[in-house]
Amino acid sequence: MLRFLTVRLLRAALTVAMVVTFAFVVLRMSGDPAQIIMGADAPPEAVEAFRAAWGLDRPLWVQYFNYFGAILSGDLGRSMRDGRDAIQLVAERIPATLALTLPALLMKVALGIPAGIYAALHRNSWVDRLVMIVAVAGFTVPSFVLGLLLVLVFAVQLGWLPSGGQESWRHAILPVVTLGLGGAAVLARFTRSAMLEVLGQPYIRTASAKGVPWHAVVTNHALPNAAIPTVTIIGFMMGSLIAGAVVVESVFSWPGVGRLLVVAVANRDLAVVQCILLLVAATMVFANLVVDLLYGLLDPRLRNAPKRAVA
Amino acid sequence: MQVAVVTPPKRRVAGPPPLVIFAIIWLVLMLATALLADVISPYAYTALDLRNRLSPPIGLGGSLVHALGTDELGRDVLSRLIYSIRTSLLIAFGATIIGALIGTSLGFLAAHFRGLVEQAVLALVDFSASLPFLILALAVLAFFGNSMLLLVCLLGLHAWERYARIARGLALAAGSQGYAAAVRQLGASPWRIYGRHVLPNIASTLIVSMTLAFPEIILLESGLSFLGLGVQPPATSLGSMVGYGREYLTRAPWIMLAPATTIVITTLSVSLIGDWLRDRLDPTLH
Repeated sequence: MLRFLTVRLLRAALTVAMVVTFAFVVLRMSGDPAQIIMGADAPPEAVEAFRAAWGLDRPLWVQYFNYFGAILSGDLGRSMRDGRDAIQLVAERIPATLALTLPALLMKVALGIPAGIYAALHRNSWVDRLVMIVAVAGFTVPSFVLGLLLVLVFAVQLGWLPSGGQESWRHAILPVVTLGLGGAAVLARFTRSAMLEVLGQPYIRTASAKGVPWHAVVTNHALPNAAIPTVTIIGFMMGSLIAGAVVVESVFSWPGVGRLLVVAVANRDLAVVQCILLLVAATMVFANLVVDLLYGLLDPRLRNAPKRAVA
Repeated sequence: MQVAVVTPPKRRVAGPPPLVIFAIIWLVLMLATALLADVISPYAYTALDLRNRLSPPIGLGGSLVHALGTDELGRDVLSRLIYSIRTSLLIAFGATIIGALIGTSLGFLAAHFRGLVEQAVLALVDFSASLPFLILALAVLAFFGNSMLLLVCLLGLHAWERYARIARGLALAAGSQGYAAAVRQLGASPWRIYGRHVLPNIASTLIVSMTLAFPEIILLESGLSFLGLGVQPPATSLGSMVGYGREYLTRAPWIMLAPATTIVITTLSVSLIGDWLRDRLDPTLH
């Protein structure tokens, strides 16, 4: 178990280090930071002084280690627009984003998993067909189209709900539903196929044959085994709690991390973009780590077995 | 490990189901629209008709002059839609091919050299799986600014890791089978082994992956363009049309509905065809 944990932690650390390296490489490739910050017509002496002040005249590998050190000590640079710490700017937006993504995650799980299980247990019934149609639609209808259609119906035509902004909880309904519906469809599809695969296994037949009541077969034998692939998807959804709402926040003018990212990209505010990039990577890696540990709990076989199978 | 066979076992030849036929017809229609955009488009996509601003489409009180209505500058929505289909399909095709090329090559490299090369490729796969692609794309656009070429290359990086995984796995499997070893014994170069012998044997699986990645790329491109960070005006794509039409949601919903419907039906069609092809071609499902 300890070895399993250590390997997982090392992998996670390596991935975060690669994201940091990626940010460094891309940042350096995109142009001379001194020129970008000082402007194209800055006097050469000023640019040289700036380079010396920020260590940009040193060898690239020294810069790389300094960059790593700065990030480890929490120094992620300042926003070029208002000069505030990028990390503070991003942290302020996190509650607004979580106010959308957490209820949406709840909605995905509460709708998607029961729908998927029911559809698998009643294969080829009308409920199954309905779930599949909605699941395919959930994949092919982009969130901005779904969001705008909901606005068109519930805000413009019926006038029941506001179309954008963040004044009250009523403003959150349409964005949460937009996020939740799409995710629930994905989750339902995965849960259904995971259940169908498990239900076809010999041990299910054995359990039924020895006289275990069907509901006990489902709860004791099918559900725990189908939980494993489903947990992977939920883990992935947890990882996108911070950044999963980029498009939807833009549709509903919701002042969260996603909206900040889009504005920062449009203004090429590199410090803010880099800060969000690292934050998202850290969340994703952490979520993957939790999923891996959960695997160990859910499936005793995986505790010591090598994880990577040949595709 | 099972033998990867190109030709499916002989079966009763059944035509595709009606939904798939519809999907194929729709895609042919889209391809024809993209190829013949200059011929069939009633107006230039930037042509203004200031007397007919925000005129509704046929069925909502509009006339044949502008079959799908006009936007607030009087530009014909149908003409813009036709050119948007061309842009979006071109980007999606380019990006899908780039992704398949990069992924397959890296997968083959990993399978051929093993050792450090393989570990490096696998670490890269882990890296791209650790970040949502939209975030990565936004970061690159922020650092490098925006151009059409960059956009296509960037979207080409989407899903490369899937091809890499498949190509590596199947090439490793092929290496342990007789035919690859036999050709190697005959003195064939690695280029010949992978290009002429391994690739044809795993092509069907790769093609299925491409049909699955294609709609995802259309959705990504339209998402980026919707945010104003993808295709830049005066060029137009399906996503940027939706983003633009959003401003007139109350007064002229047709500006946004026409491209939105096109996106949905097109991605749906490719997915349907992809699922159908997978059921027919993927040897691991038999």
